[in-house]
Amino acid sequence: MTRTRSQWWLYIVLTLALLAVIAPFVWMVLGSFKTQGELLQNPPTWWPQAATLDNYTRLFSRLNFSQYFVNSTVVAVAVTAGNLIFCSMVGYALAMLDFPGRRALFLLVMGTLLIPGVVTFVPLFVLVTNVGLSNSLPGLILPFLVSPFGVFLMRQYISGLPRDLLDAGRVDGASELRIFGRIFLPLCGPALATLGILTFLGSWNNFLWPLVVAQEESKYTLPVALALYSKGQNSTQYGLLLAGATVVVIPVLAIFLAFQRRFIEGIATTGIK
Amino acid sequence: MRRTPAIAVATLTVAALALSACGRDNAAGGGSTQKAKDISSGKATGTLTVWAMGAEGDKLPDLVKEFEAANPGVKVNVTAIPWDSAHDKFTTAITAGTTPDAAMVGSTWMGEFAGLDALDPVPPSIDTSAFFEGAQKTNEVNGTDFGIPWYVETRLIYYRTDLAKKAGITTPPTDWDGLKAMAKAMQTKAGAKYGMGFQAGGQGSWQSIMPFAWSNDANLTKDGGKAYNFDDPKILEAVKYYQSYFTEGISDKAAPNTPTTEPDFKSGRVPMFISGPWMMSAVEKVGVKKDQYDVMQIPAKTKSSSFVGGSNFAVFKKSKNRDSAWKLVKWLADPKVQAKWYGMSTDLPSVKSAWDDPSISGDDKLAKFGKQLETAQAPPTFPTWEQVVTGFDTEMEKVTKQGADPAAALKSAQQQAESIGTGQ
Repeated sequence: MTRTRSQWWLYIVLTLALLAVIAPFVWMVLGSFKTQGELLQNPPTWWPQAATLDNYTRLFSRLNFSQYFVNSTVVAVAVTAGNLIFCSMVGYALAMLDFPGRRALFLLVMGTLLIPGVVTFVPLFVLVTNVGLSNSLPGLILPFLVSPFGVFLMRQYISGLPRDLLDAGRVDGASELRIFGRIFLPLCGPALATLGILTFLGSWNNFLWPLVVAQEESKYTLPVALALYSKGQNSTQYGLLLAGATVVVIPVLAIFLAFQRRFIEGIATTGIK
Repeated sequence: MRRTPAIAVATLTVAALALSACGRDNAAGGGSTQKAKDISSGKATGTLTVWAMGAEGDKLPDLVKEFEAANPGVKVNVTAIPWDSAHDKFTTAITAGTTPDAAMVGSTWMGEFAGLDALDPVPPSIDTSAFFEGAQKTNEVNGTDFGIPWYVETRLIYYRTDLAKKAGITTPPTDWDGLKAMAKAMQTKAGAKYGMGFQAGGQGSWQSIMPFAWSNDANLTKDGGKAYNFDDPKILEAVKYYQSYFTEGISDKAAPNTPTTEPDFKSGRVPMFISGPWMMSAVEKVGVKKDQYDVMQIPAKTKSSSFVGGSNFAVFKKSKNRDSAWKLVKWLADPKVQAKWYGMSTDLPSVKSAWDDPSISGDDKLAKFGKQLETAQAPPTFPTWEQVVTGFDTEMEKVTKQGADPAAALKSAQQQAESIGTGQ
């Protein structure tokens, strides 16, 4: 009896929390069908009074949308893949392998976490320019292929895996690469899923770096293009902005849902404890 | 051995703190007056890279097609840049030396960019007296012109004519007392919740307050234009006047940061506000009819004046095609091109003679903007202006929202300004 009652309360709390999380998202989607006048109305409306597809028509007719979408996808996928590969490699080495200076190396990586991104921003841009990568997709990808946070995350996770797996692999004569790739990496599912989601989101939403590096509109990513067309010097076209945000967020949602399943699988298969 | 990590972490922390420590941006002064080389007389050639922000960047390619047609040897590549963080993009490009040949530059950025030695002085063959004086001044840093005003805007007072009639006002007031009486009448006789939609401090509020200071003949600089002058008694009078709207309940102390100006204007809740020409299409878009509202000049204490904004066009020193870049800028300042650009973008021309074009002179409301532009003023072109005025805006928020003493607020703004310095 008491159990059902506590569950009842739990459901109320969960429903309220869910509403709080989902409401802004629903408002964004509904808002993308409203006119500028209705969006600025006070008190605001919830359901569009005169629903219009105008924002979407303008979005797709004015933006070179497929180009920006391809750019964003290429950059986000490459950066995510790079992080998954390199961060797990470094993290594995720092967690499992014995070599001189391991501790110092780890502290060095951690130290770079303390340096704010704005400090390295301009030097990084100068570097990328001098290498001749400004205004190119590699210029958007290469500087972010590995991140100290990712290394930290993977190192912490792999530290929690049993060392016996490493010894067993060595006894059985597996090469170091094979031990990493075939034994440890498959066990890192949850950590990789987390890293993948965070990296993809970060790269997909990144605004300042693509804006500064891209010198032509053909190299712009979605957030840059969206800011370009929806925000003026003195006015913002909220409808266009919301329509754009809706379209931009869809791939992120898809990735999230896809990874979520892997995330659960990952937990289920790491049964060795 | 045990202590190594702690020491290492401490060292790294100190290093990180040192790296993130920030002071005033060290813009080296533009130095003494610079002498500009003139440009050749032939046609423009080669390739030009041009940056322009927002809607201007979107529409400029159509305009420069005509420049390309008139100069067959030239190719102009326009890159549209979002207004968000455009300033960061410019400063990063200046540091890395990847600036374009020419670009649209925000009128309050000139001092900073010229201070970084990034801009090329205007060649003598461009006639700078053709522009509105206030707008032209935004290009002048330490006595040298580093660009031209491309398009301009100024702030006027918008009011609902139908509600004004209800309030018993048929001719717009021309002095401070008249304006306040009108706003009050809007509340008592025309059913307005607030008579005047003044911004309650915060970012950019100086653009609403300074028009009154300038209309009181105030000067934002002293010592021959070498220092900030926020604690000027004339500015104090303007701030006191501005504050009185809030203490007397004519303006909303709790106005949101993103104001609902347009719908409030339409519903008559707030039938007056101060803003720029873009608000004409904005209020018409939410359903205010053209004959339901009008604009008036900033009422005078001594003489009517307002804020002049807009954007400038400048050529960068690093340009490999300087000659042709200036030819493009000169072409953009041609009265006929300016009138044509108004037709494409509704950006108001910075060249006075372009206002004779029937598409502009035929519009009553526009004509009022044109009249105000003749006396409108711009803030000083000190590289630190944006930084300093942020402090002023914060002080003004205390004045409007909490009823802080205007004299003390201005004194504090002046102290902040002095500690930051002009940067020249």
